[in-house]
Amino acid sequence: MTTTPPLIEDLARKFSTKLLLKHELNLSEHRFQYLIDQNYLQEVDGIRSTLNFHECNRCFNKNQSLFGKIPQHARAPITYCKKCIQMGRVSTKESLYRWTGTHPMRHKVMNPLKWKGILTPLQEKASQKMVEAVNNQSKLLIYAVCGAGKTEMLYAGIQEAIKQNKRVCVATPRADVVRELAPRLRRDFPTIHSSALYGGSTERDQNNHLVIATTHQLLRYENSFDLMIVDEVDAFPYHRDKTLPKAVTRASKPNSTQIYLTATPRRSHKLQIATKQIPTVSIPSRYHGHPIPTPTFQAVLRLNDKLEKGVLPPKITQWIKEKQTTNRRFLLFAPTIQLAEKLAEKLNMPYVHAESPDREYLIKQFRARAFQSLITTTILERGVTFPSIDVAVIQADHHVFDEAALIQIAGRAGRSASDPTGDVTFFYEYKTNAMIQARNYTILKNKEAKRCNI
Amino acid sequence: MICYLCLTSIKEDTTWSNFLNPQYRTICDHCEEKLDKITHPHCQKCMKPTDNEKCGDCLRWEQHFGEDPLGRNVSIYTYNDYMKDLIARFKYRGDYEMINAWKKSVRTSFNEQFNNQDLLVVPIPLGEDRYTIRQFNQAEAIASLLNEPIHQLLTRQDGQKQSKKSRRERVFSNNPFQLKEQPPESILLVDDIYTTGTTIRQAASLLKEAGAEHVQSLTLIRS
Repeated sequence: MTTTPPLIEDLARKFSTKLLLKHELNLSEHRFQYLIDQNYLQEVDGIRSTLNFHECNRCFNKNQSLFGKIPQHARAPITYCKKCIQMGRVSTKESLYRWTGTHPMRHKVMNPLKWKGILTPLQEKASQKMVEAVNNQSKLLIYAVCGAGKTEMLYAGIQEAIKQNKRVCVATPRADVVRELAPRLRRDFPTIHSSALYGGSTERDQNNHLVIATTHQLLRYENSFDLMIVDEVDAFPYHRDKTLPKAVTRASKPNSTQIYLTATPRRSHKLQIATKQIPTVSIPSRYHGHPIPTPTFQAVLRLNDKLEKGVLPPKITQWIKEKQTTNRRFLLFAPTIQLAEKLAEKLNMPYVHAESPDREYLIKQFRARAFQSLITTTILERGVTFPSIDVAVIQADHHVFDEAALIQIAGRAGRSASDPTGDVTFFYEYKTNAMIQARNYTILKNKEAKRCNI
Repeated sequence: MICYLCLTSIKEDTTWSNFLNPQYRTICDHCEEKLDKITHPHCQKCMKPTDNEKCGDCLRWEQHFGEDPLGRNVSIYTYNDYMKDLIARFKYRGDYEMINAWKKSVRTSFNEQFNNQDLLVVPIPLGEDRYTIRQFNQAEAIASLLNEPIHQLLTRQDGQKQSKKSRRERVFSNNPFQLKEQPPESILLVDDIYTTGTTIRQAASLLKEAGAEHVQSLTLIRS
């Protein structure tokens, strides 16, 4: 029997630096066997088991309650990982495969950046620091307020990396952010190959220059990227899930540059900043130089009871009416899907939440000014930009609104240079620490910004 | 205790009524709410939602066969969007343990509808190729919830996926099943989804030809 050698170069582009399941390779049995026999592919156990303790080799899951068993006739049961099952089943019988053939080539692009904008002095500072980090293969944390123009600060660094034929990844915990970032990056880097990866996207990465992905998608990678940029490091689920930082580390090459972006660092990052364990550059001012809107507090007596009964307190209706008469567009944040639904019915407004099927469509419509207002849960707290809007938070004392969430929500207002002021109002019954900290944060950052600008 | 569907932990209060006899729940309220149980009115025979006693599908089957080989089908849930996602995860991703979430409702339904009948539980078999990919038979998995002995009376030749065929193709395709041994008088077939009822009826007609008197079916979903 003669075998025609498969197009190795083509397969290398598809499989190199990834950890894939057999069905993800999508090869005929014949070709698959050939590649295994010729040592182009190496088999890696899907689940590592010691005694009765399992660990998933793809998603790092060690939580034993998230392993399932499939009984087999006259054989030991198969153990599989439930945590990452949406990406295809990894089990004691279903292994992962690693490409051990030669690494594919990428064509060089000398001047990928076509963006012609000008950076503010503060942005310029961060941008230079990042270029240095790319050249020194070091880490950098960019601590920039909402609306500081983070994406533009990254351009010089990305350009530098691509010039050196390095592979770049922009990762973020939220799929909405991927969908917003990808078109912007493609517009400004039109000549490079890029792919946007998130659950449900149909794009494939074939050793591209740039990958824009959710942090979950990085579970399929190993030693792949020279420049790893993690946007919104403090966002859910990245900051809660201990396995995602591991995924980011594994997906990066050993001598890679790591850039973290955040407006609201969590405690662990704050600690690293304070103890100077990670080089940090802080941008306290927005790109248009105007201060961040400070939240107004509006206490409402018996707010929770009233909302439970389906009554809207006059303070809130008044706020809405005022916006409607002055023709201001606004976002209403609700702590739960149930309340968002109730408000939407009462006020006759559209609403979005994590599970709404037309979420992408509604966000697009709101951006296109198809309607004046939108009710949302915390899913729109970050990453998405609507020019000139006002924001109100209903039940700002609810536990889902922690300090970071409130800062991010307040950061939605006053984003455009032509309309830099915006109204941010928190409606609450009991004042919480998170609310006070969020207000202090804006005051502090505005002060810092003033000092910088002088 | 975790919910087998959303994998979050379920916390239940200990009260005087349950502290001696804790009930282990396998599904949380939130997920249970999203499942849609079939309610009245529905077809007396196949549980399709309809105002008539028998739905159009069943009348057509009677025309097709003369006498319908299937006595009755009992289903539990409708095939809503949430259920479609769950079935994709269960069958095509292969999350076997999800069946535990339906344990209580499958058992209740079995006890209500088929109690004290001398039935033999027969899961609809899976073709060999598909079994190697999935490593379990979803019908057998559901049957295993019943606490009754399971009998593999049938085998199946692999064919094209039912879900990839049109209704006409399904109804007139050749019978993919073979009998392994002589069937007893009364049989309960178990499967995951009842869509057109072709699969179940193909198995039922084979069993009837070989001498079974009464064939009924229990399916998790009526789509």
